Amino acid sequence: MKVIETKGLTKVYSSSFKKNKVQALIDFNLNVEKGVIFGLLGPNGAGKTTLVKLLLGIIFPTAGNASIIEKDISDYKIKEKVGYLPENHKYPSYLKGGEVLRYFGKLSGIDGKVLDIKIDELLELVRLSKWKKTKVKAYSKGMMQRLGLAQALINDPELIFLDEPTDGVDPIGRKEIRDILVELKSRQKTIFLNSHLLSEVELITDRVGILNKGKLLREGTVKELTEKKEEYKLSLDDRNVELSGYSDENLIITKNQDASFAVKVDNIRTMNLLVDKLRRDSILIKELVLQKSTLEEMFISLINEEEKGAKQ
Amino acid sequence: MKNMFIIIQFTLREAMARKVFIFFSIITLLVLIVTLLVIGLIDMETLSGLGNHSGKELLMNEVVSALELMIVNPMASLGLLLAIFSSSSFIPTLLEKGNIDLFLSKPVSRIQLLIGKYLGVVLFVFINIFIFVLGVWLIISFKFNYWEFSFLLLSVTIIFAFAVLYSLIVLFGVLTRTSIPGMMIAYLIFIVISPLLQLYKFKFHEMISSGIIKTILDGLYYVVPQTAELMGKTMIDLAFGRGITDLQPVFTSFLFLILALTFSIFLFRKKDF
Repeated sequence: MKVIETKGLTKVYSSSFKKNKVQALIDFNLNVEKGVIFGLLGPNGAGKTTLVKLLLGIIFPTAGNASIIEKDISDYKIKEKVGYLPENHKYPSYLKGGEVLRYFGKLSGIDGKVLDIKIDELLELVRLSKWKKTKVKAYSKGMMQRLGLAQALINDPELIFLDEPTDGVDPIGRKEIRDILVELKSRQKTIFLNSHLLSEVELITDRVGILNKGKLLREGTVKELTEKKEEYKLSLDDRNVELSGYSDENLIITKNQDASFAVKVDNIRTMNLLVDKLRRDSILIKELVLQKSTLEEMFISLINEEEKGAKQ
Repeated sequence: MKNMFIIIQFTLREAMARKVFIFFSIITLLVLIVTLLVIGLIDMETLSGLGNHSGKELLMNEVVSALELMIVNPMASLGLLLAIFSSSSFIPTLLEKGNIDLFLSKPVSRIQLLIGKYLGVVLFVFINIFIFVLGVWLIISFKFNYWEFSFLLLSVTIIFAFAVLYSLIVLFGVLTRTSIPGMMIAYLIFIVISPLLQLYKFKFHEMISSGIIKTILDGLYYVVPQTAELMGKTMIDLAFGRGITDLQPVFTSFLFLILALTFSIFLFRKKDF
């Protein structure tokens, strides 16, 4: 089941007084399946928040269409099944922690004892039970963020949008938030995560999208995105063997400091041919590993390539 | 509808947290105490010795109504000034980034959200004004043992004048996302434009010879909310038990309210946040 589906979604911001227009999202197509943690990555101003706001009906698309939980985004009632933690959220400062949850819980369609129980459960989950009767104006940034997460979960949503959920949260708090998200995933909840923190996204997401200047550059699993398909690390049994003679125009072999070899090939067939040749020459292969980059390395290289392409 | 009640309920809560409303409540209490003390000084025997039975009844009506108006009218004007000041930021606060996102991410329509806020503020101001009017009415009615219930309708007139001005504040709040323009225009209408137009209509209308100026001023008179009439003639009529003798200020002001709110909703439904 597709929980999020966008087709040619485009958002152009234009001011009535200024002639310049900002293309925040351009022909954006994306499908997110049920029970997945999807991470949307991108530099500042890439269009991540714009996308979430479009999906939630906070702003309106210039072109294209989208649906969440198989309902068009213009149907506001679908939000009964959606939770949202915005970036830099503000709660009414005159309310106490518990009252904030009560207010937004009631607006989400739950009431009575169910709401009372849910408030206590969620405050316990985000470690704010002791602060239930304290006005939110006394809360720290991290506490506000944890209260925001509780607010996003108050209606037991099927789809949860989290915009920079660990912003201002200490490392222990971040770990706790990650654990909560993993637990939610185990209950078949779909989580859409906007974040700058690539290492965190790498830890918990099933699929990742990379957005820059309103365009979706790549989308896939973390494994798919971080694999270097044409680069292998080759370790031999005999550390003194030299492989320079095996290099050709489709195959570049360089020796690493640890006596292993970095092998760059044009495709997997070339790699297999090299293995055949080595075996024919009775060279014992100890290890052959497909090289991986970190999500951060991949992200930076992709954004740099895009920037270079744009300049040319 | 349920969502609207929730928004009204929490808007009342928000209003109670604002210091200006606490200030107004303290002033109300002080005025009621002073009224109680001053009214206590009036010698009832002197008053009851005046005129025959039917004349006495008429005199009592005049005295009681005049006394009530003397206290309520200036306090209502002060109350409206304070209410405009304090309520002008409700919509801009709602529309702040990080706040409006939360509300719009809930299963609440934009109409429910805006009207809920509007009604919440109007209801809160009404409660304050009603308590004040009721207090004055009880003190004076007990003292003179004269019960003119139509006086309580003054609270409806006052809140109606506020509701009209607040619709304008809501409109400018949605347009500009700040409180100052709406507040300034509401003050301008309440303190300057409406009283001047009323003066023109009833005192200087015949003195103006230019047909164009007359047409413009007449047009303005019917377009601008007639808060001066509502807080003047309409209140006096009600206080003296005559009912509303001229419905035109009520109708034109109500039309203004409906138009301002409709336009606010139209803008709010289309706006990106």
